[in-house]
Amino acid sequence: MNLTTAQIDELGRELDAIRSEITADLGERDAAHVRRMVRIARGSAITGRTLLMFGIDPITWTLGVGALATAKILENMEIGHNVMHGQYDWMNDPALASATYEWDNVCDSGHWRRYHNYEHHTFTNILGRDRDVGYGVMRVSAEQYWRPFHVIQPVSNVVLSVLFQWGVGMHGLDVPRALRSKIGRVRLRRESGKFLRKAGRQIAKDYVLFPLLALWNAPRVLLGNLAANVIRNVWSNVIIFCGHFPEGARVYTREETRNESRGEWYLRQLQGSANIEGGRLFHVLSGHLSHQIEHHLFPDLPAHRYAEIAPRVRALCERYGLPYNSGSLWQQYGSVLRKIWEYAWPTQVPAPTPTPA
Amino acid sequence: MALATTILGSAWLRPFNDVDAIDDLLSVVHPTWALGRIKARVRRVIAETADVKTFVLQTNRRWPGFAAGQHVGIVVEIDGVRCERRYSVSSAPLGGRTLTVTVKRQPGGRVSGWLHDRIVAGDVLELTAPAGDFVLPNPLPASMLMLSAGSGITPLMAMLRTLAAADDAPSVRFVHVTRDRDATIFGDELRVLAASSPWLDLHVHESTRDGRFDASALARVCPDWATRTTLLCGPTAFMAARRVEWEAAGIAGRLHTESFGAGIGLPSEGAAAAEVRCAKSERLFTTDGTTSLLVAAERAGLRPRYGCRMGICHTCTCVLRSGAVENLRTGEIVREPGAHVQLCIGRARGDVTLDL
Repeated sequence: MNLTTAQIDELGRELDAIRSEITADLGERDAAHVRRMVRIARGSAITGRTLLMFGIDPITWTLGVGALATAKILENMEIGHNVMHGQYDWMNDPALASATYEWDNVCDSGHWRRYHNYEHHTFTNILGRDRDVGYGVMRVSAEQYWRPFHVIQPVSNVVLSVLFQWGVGMHGLDVPRALRSKIGRVRLRRESGKFLRKAGRQIAKDYVLFPLLALWNAPRVLLGNLAANVIRNVWSNVIIFCGHFPEGARVYTREETRNESRGEWYLRQLQGSANIEGGRLFHVLSGHLSHQIEHHLFPDLPAHRYAEIAPRVRALCERYGLPYNSGSLWQQYGSVLRKIWEYAWPTQVPAPTPTPA
Repeated sequence: MALATTILGSAWLRPFNDVDAIDDLLSVVHPTWALGRIKARVRRVIAETADVKTFVLQTNRRWPGFAAGQHVGIVVEIDGVRCERRYSVSSAPLGGRTLTVTVKRQPGGRVSGWLHDRIVAGDVLELTAPAGDFVLPNPLPASMLMLSAGSGITPLMAMLRTLAAADDAPSVRFVHVTRDRDATIFGDELRVLAASSPWLDLHVHESTRDGRFDASALARVCPDWATRTTLLCGPTAFMAARRVEWEAAGIAGRLHTESFGAGIGLPSEGAAAAEVRCAKSERLFTTDGTTSLLVAAERAGLRPRYGCRMGICHTCTCVLRSGAVENLRTGEIVREPGAHVQLCIGRARGDVTLDL
């Protein structure tokens, strides 16, 4: 699997070529896709909230929750996450501009843009730089140092899953680091303001405004909105954890990624990510994060294009003798759960992995 | 009023005040219904000359009205990309929601080409608010000279039609410079109007027949040009030449202009020093044309947002107002006003204005 510098450079060039090809091909089809997704998400939200607000029986409640949860999942994953990556900036549509889009969950979009688009995608899987490796509360690789609080991680995993939007929101504050210095605490005060304002608006919308509008149906609407949020939390958590935690996805140290070339950056994105196999509907509902590898190679290409890029990337990997980490949802999530169990206990930190090349 | 707008626009009221969403929903019911946008249905398309078409538009209720001589933005989506261009309204403001826009096909023009080739009666276009201060002087002077060349006739036609519909029009000498009879936009209407209006004096200067239009030609068709309030509109070179003549006569104050074809500069070839205007922060800095806009801005003391500095995270993305920016990764040159450019991998090709 050891590639020479020349091979890595060539790999980089081939991937750049795929990127240029797709970029030049972007047009009406892609605009139509995102607009269709926005319409479906909106229609689903209106249907769900109407069923919750005006229905009186458990069946309409369940259908309402299903519709609203689908709307939230689509808006967060297929639309929000992808729009904020700049995937649709080329359309010049102010409603789909990455710099100003505000998504429907408690995470402040500005925080997300910084810690996800910049930090996570630039420093993917580099220990000490990518805070998504375990999210500061879990140990998901043997290379991470074990801390006593890791023993409860099987439980924290479930709690985080159910409350995932809150984890995503607070991740933007980087509380552990902020508390370590005085300037960090000053910054935390300012950033908390942004987070609390966004969270406040979301709480007001789902747990005050809509229930109040429903008058006597307030409890039904409140519970329904809560259920829809939890469904979205758990679903997005499962998909996102399958992105970098399954068996086979590797982590890196700061030393080995110093002065990375473009080809080496691509290689790290490839080897740090994992795909989930599924049908077209599954891919859309996962916001195409099922194609985590392609997403990490090309974060700002419209996500629905990953499905057509994937066979080419897979072929590339075969030619270069590189592993292409892909499996079913049960396989990938199963291996994530196994890791969470295994690394809850102290294990021997392995010797530093040899630098790739 | 301001308080009401602030409250209605507050993020705390979302999704109820999401105007984009409301507009989209309304458009599903009826294509021109909208709360925040001006939409117009094309009623007729008139071929004025070989490369000029007039679009008769009927707008929705969001149309705020306009003054003769102003221009309106037409927004179209071409291959998924939203493009906006401004065109003078060529009809007179008679109240109501009908207006006409006369568009000349620019060689290689993206939007003008799209309008000419794709838009037919029945299509729905999005418009943006009319603007511009090239309007009839108020109060109207006793005598006026309306001087236009080529498609620069469009705002003046709106003014002329306004005067024709009014009771008391001043004495107007209307001089239009064109290539030949076939290329004269509104030729028939102008001749009919001139024949039936004693206050209007029409001269059409056809370059192929009468030679180049210069100061002597102007003196011939309008000997008292220096005494009249003049409204001028045409291609950049034409207007620049006229401005020189007016300044030489010391009456630059009597010349009112609207510029057509200005601001569509060609991107510079290769690396050339350029000026970068920051529209939001009202700052100006220069770049030598070799470094990225991000580096140039930082050298000038600005501190734009940035992230990975390698074109992946889009943190440094900002909107281009005018000019051309080259994408250092792909070599593509972006010139569309309203397009997003990444400062860390963008290089100015000529003077540029950014929403920074």
